[in-house]
Amino acid sequence: MQFILDFFSTLNSLGAVVVMPFIIAIMGIIMGTGVGKAIRAGLTVGVGFIGLNLVTGLMGTYLAPAVVQMCERFGFSLNVIDVGWPAAAAIAFGTQVGSYIIPVCLLVNIVMILTGTTQTIDVDIWDYWHFAFTGSLVAIATDSIAFGLLAAIFNMMIIMVLGDLTAKDVEDSLGLPGVSLPHGFSTAYAPIAMLLNWILDKIPGVNKISFDLQSLQDKIGVFGEPILVGTVIGLLIGIAGGLKYNEVLTLAINMGACLVLIPKMAALLMEGLIPISDAASGFIEKHFSGHGQMYIGLDSAVGVGHPLTLSVALLLVPISVVLAVALPGNQFMPFADLAVIPWMFVLITPVVKGNGFRALVIGVAVLIAAFYIGTDLAPSITIAAEQAKFDFTAGTQISSICDGGNPLTWAIYRLNKISPIVGIAVVGAIAVALAIFNRIRIKKVNAAAE
Amino acid sequence: MRKFVLCCGSGIVTSTHIRKKIEEELDKRGYKGKYAITQCRASEAATMSDGHDAVISTTVLKTNCACPIIVATGLLMNRGTQEIYDQICSFFTDED
Repeated sequence: MQFILDFFSTLNSLGAVVVMPFIIAIMGIIMGTGVGKAIRAGLTVGVGFIGLNLVTGLMGTYLAPAVVQMCERFGFSLNVIDVGWPAAAAIAFGTQVGSYIIPVCLLVNIVMILTGTTQTIDVDIWDYWHFAFTGSLVAIATDSIAFGLLAAIFNMMIIMVLGDLTAKDVEDSLGLPGVSLPHGFSTAYAPIAMLLNWILDKIPGVNKISFDLQSLQDKIGVFGEPILVGTVIGLLIGIAGGLKYNEVLTLAINMGACLVLIPKMAALLMEGLIPISDAASGFIEKHFSGHGQMYIGLDSAVGVGHPLTLSVALLLVPISVVLAVALPGNQFMPFADLAVIPWMFVLITPVVKGNGFRALVIGVAVLIAAFYIGTDLAPSITIAAEQAKFDFTAGTQISSICDGGNPLTWAIYRLNKISPIVGIAVVGAIAVALAIFNRIRIKKVNAAAE
Repeated sequence: MRKFVLCCGSGIVTSTHIRKKIEEELDKRGYKGKYAITQCRASEAATMSDGHDAVISTTVLKTNCACPIIVATGLLMNRGTQEIYDQICSFFTDED
């Protein structure tokens, strides 16, 4: 017995890089993917994790010192480096909450379907990481894995209901019938977009402004490509940091490299998850369809190609850099997650019905919030990264826009930081209330359909 | 040799997911070694589409691509998969 305990504790101390392949392989075997495929999947996940680690290490080596120098010269305090959502996902999967998240979330979906509190079969297993992210932060705030898992469960419940409620908009504006988007990041912005849009509606004069941004993407889309964005930002920071010209050039090419390589490494991570993801989604689809009208829950990436989404996101790249510097008290330096801005808009674009002005205004508002939230969550995210044995330069903190800037994640975290028991009770109450509301709504919808 | 651009939101997650499915299906239909797939993100689809036969996309695409766009969201949902594969295969000519 002692040997088994020692084995697992040694394993755990080696960090996510070693633990995750084991967990993925075991899950694969349990789900019947075959031993060979399961082991390959586990190893691929480990490789993806190491790859991401290498690239963010590059950021730590080159970007962090330059940012520090830039801040000294100009009196900025941008010491929170944006490592991007791929790193955030790797960290989320690599924490203890993350290691349980796939079976836990599958169970939540199954229970919600059986209790009639959701119409969605969520086949987007990859995006469970958002709930693990929230859960990990709560686990750190409350010093309890159990509370962390509860927070993840309640986070998922809230998002599942919001996904059902926005499914009609998804169908109309994105042309995706039968699809809902229960996405931990994109869907959290739906209620905010509706609120801000409603406010804009009420302001006389402003509520008439509208312009069309959609053609922007075709004309200058090339400037939004990661390789260019990374190199340019590297150049700017190098120059602002007063580096010598050879250091500036080195920094620039390294940063361009980071923004290109991060997605490639994340693709490896994803590739390792595919057999597990397919097995899980196949299982849930086979056994849990046929409970009235059901939606398939997909990654909100399917809605990212909308021209308004892409155009506004493009405009917001330079705007973000300016905001980061200009906002008082902001410590968050946007970088890798400039690429995730389109995901914020997947559910904002349908709400504003093609109005470029409103999309821009709402975009700026939520970005400002994201920077402050990203600053606020940075200490805990950095701790989570350390727990997952994720390499970064000591002396800086890390964060991301997704989910480091996610308002729902932040609300759940803050409530639990104030008081674990009250916090989880409040979040739980909201989640259950939404679930019951959805159940009543679903019954009406199914009754009307008959 | 047919060249396809596989496009999704980030060029990472959804496109990787269906790339394997497409490759397995194309191989099964006897086209192994006769195609090349490049992954990219939605914002790069228009620029990348030059010189390719088709853009296979899992995200809504309304940009001007130099070649036809095949909507492949169904592959994520396991709906209408055979029709999507048929569409992809229609680009192979007798010479391939």
